[in-house]
Amino acid sequence: MTVQADAGFLEEADAQKSNPEIDLKRFLVRLGFSVVILLVVLAVGFLLSPYAPNEPNFLDRLSPPTTNHWLGTDQLGRDVATRLLYGGVWSIGLAFLITSVGAIVGTAVGLAAGHFGRAADVTLMRVTDSFFAFPELIAAVTIAGLLGPSTTNMVLALILVGWMKFARLVRSLSVDLAHRDFVVQARLNGLPSRRILWRHILPNIGPSLVVLWTNAWSRSILSISGLSFLGFGVQPPNAEWGAMLLDGKAYMQTAPHLMIFPGLAILLTVLSINLTGDRLRDLIGSNELSAD
Amino acid sequence: MLCIEKLQLRLHGKSILEDVSFVLPRGHTLCIVGESGSGKSSLLRAVNGLLPATFGSLSFHPKNGRPVSLKGRWKGVAGLSGSRWVMQDPISALNPKLPLGVSVGESVFAQKLSPLELKSAVSAALADVELSPEMAKRRPAQVSMGQAQRACLARALIARPDLIFFDEPLSALDAIVQKQIAATMKRIQTRFDTTFVIVTHDLGFAAAYADHMLVLRGGRVEANQSAETFFKTPESDYCRELIAAAHELGSLSETVAQVSGTKAATPC
Repeated sequence: MTVQADAGFLEEADAQKSNPEIDLKRFLVRLGFSVVILLVVLAVGFLLSPYAPNEPNFLDRLSPPTTNHWLGTDQLGRDVATRLLYGGVWSIGLAFLITSVGAIVGTAVGLAAGHFGRAADVTLMRVTDSFFAFPELIAAVTIAGLLGPSTTNMVLALILVGWMKFARLVRSLSVDLAHRDFVVQARLNGLPSRRILWRHILPNIGPSLVVLWTNAWSRSILSISGLSFLGFGVQPPNAEWGAMLLDGKAYMQTAPHLMIFPGLAILLTVLSINLTGDRLRDLIGSNELSAD
Repeated sequence: MLCIEKLQLRLHGKSILEDVSFVLPRGHTLCIVGESGSGKSSLLRAVNGLLPATFGSLSFHPKNGRPVSLKGRWKGVAGLSGSRWVMQDPISALNPKLPLGVSVGESVFAQKLSPLELKSAVSAALADVELSPEMAKRRPAQVSMGQAQRACLARALIARPDLIFFDEPLSALDAIVQKQIAATMKRIQTRFDTTFVIVTHDLGFAAAYADHMLVLRGGRVEANQSAETFFKTPESDYCRELIAAAHELGSLSETVAQVSGTKAATPC
């Protein structure tokens, strides 16, 4: 009885299984549209906003949300909505930069470790491990603290503590791939290692890299905001979401909108990047399975 | 042409192959038979330089390509020049991200052909294994097992090798496709005068195909005979047992042995 029921469900599930490749394409198209719409909204916001992000207006301080100031104004009378828009460029853009540089450095290290012999592997991976030994945020705080608080130093610090995950992933995947039949074939057929890396290894770890990269991106938005909130990151008067939180902290009781809106912005951005990353992982994962 | 003498292979202190020797003339087929773990695949890997041989010598004289002669401990020879290897599982032997045409073309990467020459060479190789030229654009996930194995065969053929190693080339395929691919292999061999070294589980296939038999058991040579004498008067009790078992399963019969290039439909 149960056996029959199982078999029936399995067949139904198989029949409903859609083509993961098509799913992935559909998802990427939707993702692309969402990004375009977001960019258009941002651009319209920049164009329509009558306020400058860093220009104080002492006549209109700490105003709650009104029709003039949709999200209110801060202690210097600056429009919170405008500052949020500009702050988004800082938070999301800097995080993008940090993660991308980290991904490139990490991938290079991982590939080198996986492919240039045992000595390179041991050396590079021990270096990676020792970087792992520092707790990310504390290391960044230390570096930013030593070099002095500035945006550049924060970016350097976050790159310095952010590349190892990529190195480790790429190294383990490429070592695994090196034993796969098609890579062995490529080696036996006398392909130079540059081509093996570019054509056989990298394309096959690309999907996992993209997933890790989106993950790291959202995490580094949090790190940037965290460091800025602690005063080590983007410096006033520049609007960055974490820095805005820091500014609003003193007025938490009287003007809670100063903290609510930047907080919401961080929450929503990180959440949507994470969800996108998860969906991407699911789709790419099933795609990988079908390809094997 | 290919001559292996007293090949010994030890891994982590464990003996994998002991004292394996054989000589294979050009254009002939050697079938290597043995149970799992008998060292068949290790032998292929050692000959291709994927595993380091601890002792022994190898000499290989291809028609075109430099002769290879190795003695003592050898390792790191990535493939013998003038040879190609067709693996057991065609899907994992092909890069899932690359169209078949690219995978086939990479086999002659060292020749530095122009894109146009490469394209026509790939089409010709695909035609040799009875694949349509459109297959060059497909990725492994989009083709059947049989088509993928044909692509692997094309990847070997395009290099015009004197020697092709097959590691259980048919065991991942179903019976009808097995039969077709076996026929294609036969045709290719007669046409290009290629030497085949085929690792197989299947005595029926070996009977139809082999000129020489090499039976391995526990890393040692159990029999090294011409196929004809092997199936008539096997060298050892183990071989007699093997042949009897194959007879009982029905995979080996006189008719099969005579209809060359085909094999009976038996589960592997």
